Amino acid sequence: MLDPSLLPWWAWPLLLFAVTFLLGIVAVIGGIGGGVLFVPIVAGFFPFHLDFVRGAGLLLALSGALSSGPGLLRGGLASLRLAMPLALAGSIGAIVGAFLGLAMPTRVLQLSLGIVVLAIAALMWFTRHGGETLARTPDRWAAALGLSGRYPEASQGTIVAWTVHRTPAGLVAFAVIGVIGGMFGLGAGWANVPALTLLMGLPLKLAVGTSGLTMSIMNTSAAWVYLNEGALLPILHVPSILGVMLGARVGVRMLKKIDAQAARYIIIAVLLVAGGRSLLQGFGI
Amino acid sequence: MTMERHEKAYARWLAIGARIGFAALVASFFIYMFGIIPPGIAVTDLPHYWGLPVAQYLAQAHAPTGWSWVHRLPQSDVLNFVGVAILGATSIACYFRLIVDYIREKDWLYVWICLAQIVVLVVAASGLLH
Repeated sequence: MLDPSLLPWWAWPLLLFAVTFLLGIVAVIGGIGGGVLFVPIVAGFFPFHLDFVRGAGLLLALSGALSSGPGLLRGGLASLRLAMPLALAGSIGAIVGAFLGLAMPTRVLQLSLGIVVLAIAALMWFTRHGGETLARTPDRWAAALGLSGRYPEASQGTIVAWTVHRTPAGLVAFAVIGVIGGMFGLGAGWANVPALTLLMGLPLKLAVGTSGLTMSIMNTSAAWVYLNEGALLPILHVPSILGVMLGARVGVRMLKKIDAQAARYIIIAVLLVAGGRSLLQGFGI
Repeated sequence: MTMERHEKAYARWLAIGARIGFAALVASFFIYMFGIIPPGIAVTDLPHYWGLPVAQYLAQAHAPTGWSWVHRLPQSDVLNFVGVAILGATSIACYFRLIVDYIREKDWLYVWICLAQIVVLVVAASGLLH
């Protein structure tokens, strides 16, 4: 953790705004949530304690999910019916994760964060070429819950039918993602999308939108825990939310000009550095 | 493709809640930063606390936990939690709106899912868990 006296107090929120603005751009172009980059970078290179950084990370992910949710639903790019049971499992997990995270010693948490962030970098590397195995027929649970429908595929000008399979495994996966997201304040987009596409067989476009909707509910439950436990500092979360949201707007405009694959490589490199730094902090180095 | 009625209502409520929450979050932050309303913890004192684990911060700064921040209003640092609470309450309000539609349609499975989700969120918000 950096010495706060390196800069006057007012310079830290300004620096935070500038860094999160850049994170917002990279996150949009790379197709991930801001929380997964925010927590390891800010915890590693700013003077704030990890407890407050995780609280801010959750609020950051929650804000992004809440602001994008209405547009995704109106565009038919998210399924509320699918999001609801998954969010229920995820939000229970997120509450458990938030309490676990706040009870763990800082060193153990930094070490665990480093391992999780490096694992996310590995996950992004191995899934970088996408690859969909779409569900053809719903399993028993998906049929009972009515988890199928249609969404507009604008790139082809068609309406695509979708359903899901392996629903019980999907529910377990979302509960585990909730625990990790709540514990480290990482949001959940980095894991929700692979769980929806690779495990449950949902088309990628619908998975991205449904993931956002699910996050808005999962992160709400963990954010309440952090608020009630006193682990929120406005000087940390407000500049970060503003920075990421403005950065995301700029990122959307740059999306067409910049190679998304290159952005993903940048994100993987940043995650490796931030995860490595967190591991070192965990070892007291 | 027509949007489901539930999704339309959910999107509308979500948009309203998010807008009000963000406005409150940002407005209260600038009130705090510019000292328009006196805070409980001065911004210039924050560097003494922001590097501490939350338990030590609470003990040293006498910062509020649970819903006790409400009693400290309108101190400008806790004023920010009003925005956080609105953002946190948005999904709960959306689920209350959804449950009405599902009851009308007698979609009992989703009525139960809605009820379970509301219970989970309300328990998290209540501060009863420690």
